[in-house]
Amino acid sequence: MIESFREAFGRALVELGRENPNIVVLDADVKSSTKTAYFEKAFPGRFIQVGISEQDMVSMAGGLAIAGKIPVVSAFAAFLMRAWEQIRNTIARDNLNVKLIPTHSGLSDHMDGSSHQCLEDIALMRVLPNMTVVVPADAPSVPVLLRQVVELEGPVYMRLGRDHAPRVYNKPELELGKASVLRKGNDVLLVATGVMVSVALETARKLEERGISAGVVDMHTIKPLDEETLLKLVSKVELVITLEEHSIHGGLGGAVAEVLSEKMPKRLIRIGTTEFGRSSRDYLALLERYGLTAENVVRKVEVMLT
Amino acid sequence: MSETLDPRAKLQSVLQPVNNFHLESSETCLEILSAILEEKREDDVVILSKGHSAPAFYVILHEMGLLSDEELYSFADIDGLPSHVTRGLPFIEVSSGSLGQGLSVGNGIAMAKRIDGKNGYVYVILGDGELDEGQVWEAAMTASHHGLDRVIAIVDRNYFQLTGSTEEIMNKEPLADKWRAFGWEVIEVPNRKEKLRKALEKAKRIRGKPKVIIARWGV
Repeated sequence: MIESFREAFGRALVELGRENPNIVVLDADVKSSTKTAYFEKAFPGRFIQVGISEQDMVSMAGGLAIAGKIPVVSAFAAFLMRAWEQIRNTIARDNLNVKLIPTHSGLSDHMDGSSHQCLEDIALMRVLPNMTVVVPADAPSVPVLLRQVVELEGPVYMRLGRDHAPRVYNKPELELGKASVLRKGNDVLLVATGVMVSVALETARKLEERGISAGVVDMHTIKPLDEETLLKLVSKVELVITLEEHSIHGGLGGAVAEVLSEKMPKRLIRIGTTEFGRSSRDYLALLERYGLTAENVVRKVEVMLT
Repeated sequence: MSETLDPRAKLQSVLQPVNNFHLESSETCLEILSAILEEKREDDVVILSKGHSAPAFYVILHEMGLLSDEELYSFADIDGLPSHVTRGLPFIEVSSGSLGQGLSVGNGIAMAKRIDGKNGYVYVILGDGELDEGQVWEAAMTASHHGLDRVIAIVDRNYFQLTGSTEEIMNKEPLADKWRAFGWEVIEVPNRKEKLRKALEKAKRIRGKPKVIIARWGV
């Protein structure tokens, strides 16, 4: 089943808004795209329109947090990054309780091309002290993680794609900061995040047909990284593969490489991008162009293990 | 020792060991900070967006008896007072040091007060050089669009910025017209404490839109 990340987000935000009167949502004129328009409709008094000004929006969210609110800032990931310095110097430095929840991350805004496709945000957010970085794998994960994100005191970046969210979980039991082990394996460990978790599962099935046993981990919290679970699983395999809809530099692949090189050196292949995106009428064609498919990963594993 | 110094001499003595760190910017901010902190009530908030005027802020705190001699003279030392204001110091709600963000933060606090039906003003101190930052004008639009009349910005119009005169680096005039065009009520006063206090009182009486006080240096 294919669902939508942003639809799941918009609906979950309304649910949480009903329970928690402190939640305030800010928008930079993309509410119909991010689906925060649902929140505006339900709670017009707690929805703040700032116009097309992401930097103002982020700093204003800082003020709301200082005054005791739980501001939720949503925008396209690529354009939220223009406020990186505001996120650094006001939100993260003062450890303010601001929730940054962009949509349209990775290549998911396929039609709009390289300007709109954000393949750097995990790296940019991961480097900031105090920042928690979360990437849900599918639509059912969104409300489960969003609830914990809102309850956590401090700044959080929760990265969402647009509409292509193949179902990974039926009833996810996810805990922020704790990796979710979806499949055990003895030869290869696939560590994935976001939409690539579904690709990792498909990869594992294809590898099984070839007699290769692959484990799959949904690393929905990239920072803080669940090193304990990671190292336990890595110790059993020959090869580790990270999969992300993001640059291999500084993202999940970078995070896993840092831990392994210090604590458990192991052969690692990072699957992700190294270039800017491009326009495509078809999202899946774009994933294929950048090698973010099960077939590509299977080929790489076969080369390595045979 | 320092008690015998007037605020400006105190500022100079604090900044002497640190190569006069932003001395002028602090000097022109002394009376502004002093007026605001005297005017400030318990539910008001002060934001020093031009964070490099921190030394002036510390001198005023010292004058108020909130900092000891030892603390004041620890300015910019490794575990001493931070060179730019940071959250956790008295009256400091938000860290600054990066220009252009304070007005947006102030708007956020004012918006939260409105949602909660709370009173209190938000004073935001801006540098005139800081007005080069586009975010200030984003925030200016947001404040007037939302009618945030609890926001009172004070521009330290001292006519200089880091590498020269404001009018040479990036001209600001006609400054009052710019703020007016963005929907703000503008009050222009000489940068002197009594004039500033009167301007603050006047600003509070004006309802329905945000207010800016342009505090002109050298008039």
